[in-house]
Amino acid sequence: MGSGDIVLEGRGLFRSFGPVEVLSGIDIVLRAGEVHAVIGENGAGKSTLMRLLSGHLEPTKGTVAIDGVPCTFRGPVDAEHRGIVLVHQEILLAPHLTVAENIFLGREKRRGLILDDRRMNREAAAAVLDLGADIDPTTAVERLSIAQRQLVQIARALAVDHRVVIFDEPTASLTPVEADALFRVIARLRERGIAVLYISHRLAEVKAIADVVTVLRDGRLVAHHDASELEPFDMARLMVGRDMSNLYPERRPPPAAADIVLEARDVSVPGFVENASFVLRKGEILGFGGLIGAGRTELLEGVLGLRPSTGEVRVNGKAVRFRTVHDSMQAGIVYLSEDRKGKGLLVGQDLRTNLTLSALDRFRRGPLIDKAREWAALDRAITAFDIRTRRRDINAGQLSGGNQQKLLLAKSMLIEPDIVVIDEPTRGIDIGTKAEIYRFIAKLAADGKAVIVISSEMPELIGVSHRVVVMRGGHIAGEVDGARMTEAEIVVLATGVAAQAA
Amino acid sequence: MRTLMLGFAVAATVVGGSAFAQEKSVTMAVSIPAADHGWTGGVVYHAEREKAALEARYPGLKIILKTSPDGASQANALEDLSAQGIDALVTLPHNSDELTDPVRRVKESGVFVTVVDRALSDPTIQDLYVAGNNPELGRVAGEYMKKELGQGDIVVIRGLPIVIDEQRVTAFNAAIEGSGIKVLDSQYGNWSRDDAFKVMQDFLTKHPKIDAVWCQDDDMAVGVLEAIQQSGRSDIKFVVGGAGMKDMIKRVMDGDPMIPVNVLYPPSMIATAMDLTAAGLYDQVPVRGSYILAAPLVTKDNAAEYYFPDSPF
Amino acid sequence: MTHASETTVPRPGGGFRIDLKAAAPFIALAVLLVFGALLNPNFVSAANLLNVLTRCAFIAIIAVGATFVIASGGLDLSVGSMAAFIAGSMILIMNGMGGDPTIGTIALAMLIALGIGALCGLANGVVTTAGRIEPFIVTLGTMGIFRALVIWLAEGGSIAMKDQELRALYRPVYFGNVFGIPIPVLVFLAVAAIAAFVLYKTRFGRHVLAVGSNEEVARYSGIPVGRVRTLTYVVQGLCVAVAVLVYVPRLGAATPTTGLLWELQAITAVVIGGTALRGGTGRVWGTVCGALILEVVGNIMVLSDLVSEYLIGAVQGAIIIVAMLVQRSMSRRT
Repeated sequence: MGSGDIVLEGRGLFRSFGPVEVLSGIDIVLRAGEVHAVIGENGAGKSTLMRLLSGHLEPTKGTVAIDGVPCTFRGPVDAEHRGIVLVHQEILLAPHLTVAENIFLGREKRRGLILDDRRMNREAAAAVLDLGADIDPTTAVERLSIAQRQLVQIARALAVDHRVVIFDEPTASLTPVEADALFRVIARLRERGIAVLYISHRLAEVKAIADVVTVLRDGRLVAHHDASELEPFDMARLMVGRDMSNLYPERRPPPAAADIVLEARDVSVPGFVENASFVLRKGEILGFGGLIGAGRTELLEGVLGLRPSTGEVRVNGKAVRFRTVHDSMQAGIVYLSEDRKGKGLLVGQDLRTNLTLSALDRFRRGPLIDKAREWAALDRAITAFDIRTRRRDINAGQLSGGNQQKLLLAKSMLIEPDIVVIDEPTRGIDIGTKAEIYRFIAKLAADGKAVIVISSEMPELIGVSHRVVVMRGGHIAGEVDGARMTEAEIVVLATGVAAQAA
Repeated sequence: MRTLMLGFAVAATVVGGSAFAQEKSVTMAVSIPAADHGWTGGVVYHAEREKAALEARYPGLKIILKTSPDGASQANALEDLSAQGIDALVTLPHNSDELTDPVRRVKESGVFVTVVDRALSDPTIQDLYVAGNNPELGRVAGEYMKKELGQGDIVVIRGLPIVIDEQRVTAFNAAIEGSGIKVLDSQYGNWSRDDAFKVMQDFLTKHPKIDAVWCQDDDMAVGVLEAIQQSGRSDIKFVVGGAGMKDMIKRVMDGDPMIPVNVLYPPSMIATAMDLTAAGLYDQVPVRGSYILAAPLVTKDNAAEYYFPDSPF
Repeated sequence: MTHASETTVPRPGGGFRIDLKAAAPFIALAVLLVFGALLNPNFVSAANLLNVLTRCAFIAIIAVGATFVIASGGLDLSVGSMAAFIAGSMILIMNGMGGDPTIGTIALAMLIALGIGALCGLANGVVTTAGRIEPFIVTLGTMGIFRALVIWLAEGGSIAMKDQELRALYRPVYFGNVFGIPIPVLVFLAVAAIAAFVLYKTRFGRHVLAVGSNEEVARYSGIPVGRVRTLTYVVQGLCVAVAVLVYVPRLGAATPTTGLLWELQAITAVVIGGTALRGGTGRVWGTVCGALILEVVGNIMVLSDLVSEYLIGAVQGAIIIVAMLVQRSMSRRT
């Protein structure tokens, strides 16, 4: 394995939450100038390990050592002072402050008593440019896309002196172009002799950038390997502990001339989408592809009454106008937001409350809510959707990402929809859960429902859809199906590059 | 020190001999606290009535009446008023310290200043001072307690922690000193019926025997009487309030044993002040000085003189 | 995380678990009661405890309404002024009705008072939701409006019930009792019970908590957010009106000082009771307990000779902060 000096080391790390042991005897070694990837399913203990190494948590047993000297962090700030920085997966920025203000938050540059805004803006712009993006440092963060926010967050983490940089699924919300820029940043860090700890679900990515791979399963160490020894397929097998040959379910033939259940004609969403039209048939899975910011989410939110929009929408041939999402739910359409924690689930409330929230009318007995029936529904949902939780009375925020998505699916299915719109169905979700969700989507279509999948992951779009509509810059750029449904075709439509060349 | 009656006599004299000067155009500003309890409500009522009466009497006179909910906004109001160009200011300040300088600035622009009830920290600012006699209110109540009770245990419900409350209580304590009267307890009731009710309820719980209550204000007396009635206790012989609220004067007049007397501290003093100020402006008679209204004891015999059924207070 | 624990998911209620966070205000109250008893034995006399319970009724009832508003992520600063306005209007209506004073007169006036309360709340709610204005600003505005209306109605003085017979008929609503329990206490227990029922057992209550928890999630879940918000203010208005029904017979009058600073007491009671100001949780019984704590603190201060009357406010403030600290440390332990 690597040859650089050992910078950060974990020896026999254990961590328990109450009676539950989530990490058991992990050894890990980070060397200077080496990219070390940690992979594993959700709940395998990746996040806990990362939090132990970055001072967010203390180990129950075992030691963390810097340069071979055992040490105890007094918290994440202490770890940062010792050169260990963590790039969070969640966006932790102040939305009303500018890019530069966020990057320098808590470590503002001053000239005397006065903030040196010019210098901070200049350095912030340089830091962001370093990551391959061009963002005006005086833009308020709330006006950036999620991908841009992520880059700002990385820039903020790298603005302190660092010897170890920990990335927690940094590419989850990045487009391929943005991800490539990030990989270049990581490569540069490695050249400078920084130790990088990289946590990701995207095994192809891990294969491409990592030197060493550590695989965790159920809180235990499965293996350390040189990345060159493993193919993504092997990684998946090690992670789940079984063969993972069928990520995507067998594709059923597309319904040829089934009835059109949803039709949008010349729908415009001011500021985002212009004159978009599409049709959705019964039993069909329709993919929506395109770059982040192409207007896919906004188009569907406009159609379903979540945003003001103009144009014509027909459900089962009848013209409708949805003023609120309540109207579209009444019409049998349900939308699962890509922003699960911000728009999908009440992270501070328990599973039962979340599950029945959209369908409370089905749990009423007179004026009362029938809690017994709610609990029964939760039991059924936990079984049917394989929601893995230690207790039934925890808050939705305590579930892992994959289980949150399953809970959101269960919640949406309670209103018994005919049309299901899923935005980024597997963002931040491990490979085992992904397969479950793909199977579930396929089953919905097989049961005669119609499904729209919005996704930025092209293999996913191609793997589950019958047909893919591609958007670019607020317009529908084209549609592919059958043999034309390839990554190359979709990229051409999404970027417009080839069109210009031709 | 002149008495209330003397004050009115001066005003009456000057009004009589000055019919020719009444067309002169003069602006008088009146700045008083907003009606936040019964007594200040009475002040507002009397100020409005006097404004109408004076404007009718002097056709050239314009009176601007401004009420303010607290000291800071009264300071702002004073600035606004003097910016409008006034000749005289009649003010009942929220408190002494906060408003001394704002009033001083008004004075420095050449305005005739009349201060009512609550004295400023610097008495040289005012041209005319009209006030009730706060120490006298406490002393008269104390003397009555000493005379009627001789000895016994009483409780005291105070107003708000400001100067006039302190003056009343100090004089009261001085008056009962050396007698057999013992003050079991004293608490602030904030010149509020609700708060006085609560404090009295707690006093009744705490002290098994109370002979009398002094609460220096009739609004609070209402709450005290309700608390006593609810407890069903018969040891309390009487309650001494103050200020001359019409309901309480009526009870004195009717011989209610719980309210045998009242001590006068009339909100109509604002009218006295406005009247004197107008007289000074129009009639070239000397009105500068201090006018301290008496705080007479209202008893069953003289209550009819002080009973004004139309007043809101 | 073993596979065994994934398949058998325990459900709550199997064993008896005390939710320390919910219990914290009650523990604080118990500590205060013991403290009070040690200082003055009269404190625990039935008469004194009933006095305190009765006195806290207004704030408790109003605070129960505030629990709904705060749980949905809103705020209502106008409750004190609203109470004074409803009280003044109700008394003027009773004075104006004339005729022989009967129970019917009072009942009708009560109904009108409830109607006025609901309308005042509706106004707050509609301006907040339809006008998309911060509730802090809206209710600060209506606070001034209601207060000025009272002063205007009272012409600066006080509004008193003129008919002494009617007054005598109405008086028992504050001073009367049923089997020794004062009527205001019964009223606030009933209000709290109904409120707990609505908040925990009905769809509306669930929606209130969802909106307060995360407005966006609620919207994406098909909940009519604006309507839910507005209704919480109507609930608040109704609660204020109920408090007024019990308040008016006590002194038979409304003055410009009626209800002064009640909004702060109500909000304090809600927060002491364990409801977070940011919304998403609502603890009705905790709120009632919070109102009691406020009243008990004042009562202990007067009954004991611990500090001079000049320092009472400081001690009250300190006790409230300590109560919150105790609560915070307990909730951290769970």
